Amino acid sequence: MKSALDTVTAWLARGVIAFLYVPIVVVVVLSFNDSDITYKWAGFTTRWYGELARDTELLDALRVSAEVALLSATLATGCGLLAAMGMARLRPRWRAVFSGGLFLPLVIPEIVLGVALLSVFGSLHAGLGLTTLVLGHLVVTLPYAALIILGAHGALDPALEEAATDLGCNTWQAFRRVTLPLLRQALLAAWLLCFTISFGNIVMSTFTNGVGTTTLPLRVYSLLKVGLTPEINALGTLLVLFTFLIILGVGLRQMRRVLLGGDRTPQ
Amino acid sequence: MTAPPPAGAGARRGFLTAALLAPAGLTVAGLVLVPLLLVVRDSFATPDLYGGTKGGFTLANYRSLFDPVYLKVFGYSLGMAALNAAVCLLLGYVVAYYLVSRAPQRQMLLLLLIIVPFWTDFLVRTFAWINLLSPGGPVNSLTDAVGLTHGPAQWIPSQGASFVGLVYAFLPTAVFPVYASLRGVDPALGEAARDLGCGWWRVHTKVLLPIARPGLLAAALLTFIPTLGVFVIPVLLGGGKNQLVGNLIVTLYTEFRNQPMGAAASVVLLVLMLVSLAVFGTAARRLRRKTA
Repeated sequence: MKSALDTVTAWLARGVIAFLYVPIVVVVVLSFNDSDITYKWAGFTTRWYGELARDTELLDALRVSAEVALLSATLATGCGLLAAMGMARLRPRWRAVFSGGLFLPLVIPEIVLGVALLSVFGSLHAGLGLTTLVLGHLVVTLPYAALIILGAHGALDPALEEAATDLGCNTWQAFRRVTLPLLRQALLAAWLLCFTISFGNIVMSTFTNGVGTTTLPLRVYSLLKVGLTPEINALGTLLVLFTFLIILGVGLRQMRRVLLGGDRTPQ
Repeated sequence: MTAPPPAGAGARRGFLTAALLAPAGLTVAGLVLVPLLLVVRDSFATPDLYGGTKGGFTLANYRSLFDPVYLKVFGYSLGMAALNAAVCLLLGYVVAYYLVSRAPQRQMLLLLLIIVPFWTDFLVRTFAWINLLSPGGPVNSLTDAVGLTHGPAQWIPSQGASFVGLVYAFLPTAVFPVYASLRGVDPALGEAARDLGCGWWRVHTKVLLPIARPGLLAAALLTFIPTLGVFVIPVLLGGGKNQLVGNLIVTLYTEFRNQPMGAAASVVLLVLMLVSLAVFGTAARRLRRKTA
């Protein structure tokens, strides 16, 4: 028997889910709005996308963001993979210590991580630029890469690698021919997630970017401080599309691992 | 578990393990742990004229933070963060309960529906509200049509807009842990409680909420602490008037170029984080003891 309150909360839940989509849909719709005033509908146009394609400053920022995301996602995935393999060889006690350190950046407010890196770069007299951005983004993305790869690596049957060794593979061959292919999906998922996190990052970038390495979110943020333009809505729409593609690429299974922890399927 | 290695291979094995752990280990040590120590050190230093530090040991930076202007920022941040966490928890529970009471196939679809906004670019999700809340914008047109407002309403920038932006940014984060803790629950449990005469309210407060509590704690932690460090939303939606700790830190570093005071504010934020971790940790432990 269903109580009336169940119906009420179910509708509230549906309302909340709709609430999550209204702003996104509005950005998409208004990106096709033929008016300089972003929020008043005045007919359909695609001209803002044209403007976007000609905005060299935004394109420069896009290039910086893509470079940083590419590098930091690759580094994070690599470090995560090596760490997962190394941790499997540790005693449980040390494994717990190491994973504590690895996941520490998840509980520390990102702004403090950014400030902290700025102190280090400052005392090393390191100029801020691409390198500092990539290192900053590595700090932010590594825990997520580790989360996915550790989960996938932990789910592997250790007997597989042992079997490969027994059949005459050396450690490298066992890794190359057995472990790596089995982890391919998880590695791809980790890389894509890290890429997205880096690409959208604004807090860490605020403290680690230098002259000439303004990332896309930083550029958009400074534009938004002046005011929202239809062009930014167009850019937002492209970013929403990009999110869809990434989620498709990562797959729901890996998403669940990151967001819900563990790999149980709902009963 | 793997068998212990033969004694002779010990050194080589140890070397390989160290080599595998080195990149991640060095990243954490060199780019997280050491930097955090430097922030603590900087927070006791005197500022130089060029936005750096002169070293030394002084409590002046912390004393300056005791200025009513800054105390107000901390108080406001804690209030906003608590309110945001509370609203996210409440709505997160409602959504998570809705999810687990659907058929498995639908659950997956609904979960995907929550995942998409979660991964959508943070700035997009924030400036979306500028579209929505602008005078004469979509929400305003709606309220005009229903007769709630008459003509253009000045909703943005405001504290309210800033708060809506915060809830919108953190709500998906709150749904996941609550859902994770509820989804293992046998639906028969709620039905049994109902058959035994529990009303709707008691089914939730006596049966489901206690089960969801670890998830609720995690959700509270994942919304409360990050809210303190947010700086984009108060600037874009709140007009920069009512600042969060995040805004304070950014301002001290980038505008005032006062690194030691910025470091002191960061240390205070870290302490707030540790205190909330301790509080939530104690609550979780007490919970486990009670259920054990």
